[in-house]
Amino acid sequence: MQYTQKVLDHFMKPHNVGKMEEPDAYATEGSPACGDQVTVYLKVNKATQIIDDISFLSYGCASNIATASIITDLAKGKTLDEAKQITWRDAVEALDGLPPIKVHCSVLAADTLQSAISNYEIANGLKEVPEFSKQTILDELKKIIYPKVGEDIITLKMVKYVGFSNGEVLIDLNIMSFDEWRENIAEEIREHLQKYPDVKDIQINFP
Amino acid sequence: MPEERIYLDNCVTTRPAPEVLSAMQPFLTEEFWYPASFVSTGERISAVLDEFRTTFARTINAQASEIHFTAGGTLANNIAIKGLISAVYTRGKHIICSVVDYPDLLTNAAYFENMGFEVTYLTADSEAFVSADELKKAIRPDTLLFMTTAVNHVVGTIQPLSDYARVLAEADHKIYYHVDAGQAYGKMKLDMQELGIDTMAVSGHKIHAPQGVGFLFTKKGTKLSQVIHGVRRIDNFQTGGISVALIAGFAKAAEMLFADLEGQINHLYDLSGYLLEKLEANLDHIELNGPRGTARACHNINVSIDYIEGEAIAMMLDLEGITVATGSACASQGLQPNYILMAIGKNHVQSHGSIKLTLSRYTARAQIDRVVEKLTAITRELRQRSPLYQAVIAKER
Repeated sequence: MQYTQKVLDHFMKPHNVGKMEEPDAYATEGSPACGDQVTVYLKVNKATQIIDDISFLSYGCASNIATASIITDLAKGKTLDEAKQITWRDAVEALDGLPPIKVHCSVLAADTLQSAISNYEIANGLKEVPEFSKQTILDELKKIIYPKVGEDIITLKMVKYVGFSNGEVLIDLNIMSFDEWRENIAEEIREHLQKYPDVKDIQINFP
Repeated sequence: MPEERIYLDNCVTTRPAPEVLSAMQPFLTEEFWYPASFVSTGERISAVLDEFRTTFARTINAQASEIHFTAGGTLANNIAIKGLISAVYTRGKHIICSVVDYPDLLTNAAYFENMGFEVTYLTADSEAFVSADELKKAIRPDTLLFMTTAVNHVVGTIQPLSDYARVLAEADHKIYYHVDAGQAYGKMKLDMQELGIDTMAVSGHKIHAPQGVGFLFTKKGTKLSQVIHGVRRIDNFQTGGISVALIAGFAKAAEMLFADLEGQINHLYDLSGYLLEKLEANLDHIELNGPRGTARACHNINVSIDYIEGEAIAMMLDLEGITVATGSACASQGLQPNYILMAIGKNHVQSHGSIKLTLSRYTARAQIDRVVEKLTAITRELRQRSPLYQAVIAKER
């Protein structure tokens, strides 16, 4: 495993780290059981909608800390609309790359930033609580990284079918039995979807 | 200039002793020959190999004819396990091992399971002990083999080898007894006259010999089928070439260690005891994984540091010139938490935060002081960044 110098710099001396007192919004994503958890805090200028201040806490490995650090750098001073465009790919690029097996860390960092922004918008009447739909499932699946290549499973066309009715999620995955990551990915999908109260049951099928 | 690296991953491999390298030298230069009869060059090598067999035999109270050289511990395990089963497979189809065994044993068990054999995986208690009573309950009329890892490679637990021997001796039929002694050889007394072991695998590079050499003990009269076929040069079981120089180095390492085994063991117990004491005095919210005191091997300390993650700890120590190991999923190739820690009832967080420090004869007290000092600072730093720790201190306030 080789980390770039930028990853090491942000890991050893992370930017914007620490708990924020009285944030305007925050979000925590991930869970200790999955091995990583990130919290992002925001202070937003109400008039200009600019992110005046941002900070994070991270329970995780070196790349988890580094990606959270870079994501806060990328978002600081941006308007909410600009910050909403920031993705995990931007974080990976800004760090001069990540080992494929570590790309999922950048997804968690970007995800937490987006959740914090969403929480701010909901709390300030800028948007409604989004309704759970098939699109929500697709958005979540875009956050699942295939560790061997460091790309998401939608882009890699590993998802054949997604269905949702009466609280039941049905997903057909195009991952063979000999693939060492098959169970890993199924487990991660469940972790991502179980947090939605609308989801009662998740069925994942393989060829 | 950075200070000299502090290496505390001696459970994986150890620094070859300078004396060992010197002992190898003749066999890489003037005496580069292979053993053979009737010619003086070959006879000279046959004679030194006999001497080395005697050296190793003395270390475990065995006979020279019971020692077989191999190119490492994993080969010794494979030659023994596959050789034993192949020799007796018509008599049964049941194998016993445990969930906390070394991968050499577990992958062999899985191999035989795929071939249609049945395997009972004994469970371990919270300190990774596998009880002889459990072994007794698992024995069936068709049990062929029991295999065990004498010292657990993650948490250092010393298994009750003589209790196992007693249970196996009391069985109604012969059950072969194989031991992986990779972490045990040179860390505890292993007496083949007392322990009733049929086959035992030993690795050289865990005791300051170079990598790529080991030996297999096979009790006199134990029949092993040939697993590795080829020309007989050094050994009947591992046919083909084995480096005489590596064997010579390994023999020297064993000679050095066993000249005062008890003294060396006591020295490592002193050091590891000191390390644990210092860790517990300097760090809060930590827990020792595995047993305390002489129930664990003398060189192993494994602690879980709560609320922070092991890869981050190990990387920060690495950048300070200190090598340690971690059971964190983030540091593993399969992104899975350590199977030993999970098998003894630790949770994901405890496995993620686990750090394994394994010592050797080259570990100095001053190095331990430095490691604890750095680890304390790193723990403080990473906890400042950790949402889990921040939540805990908010609650404590």
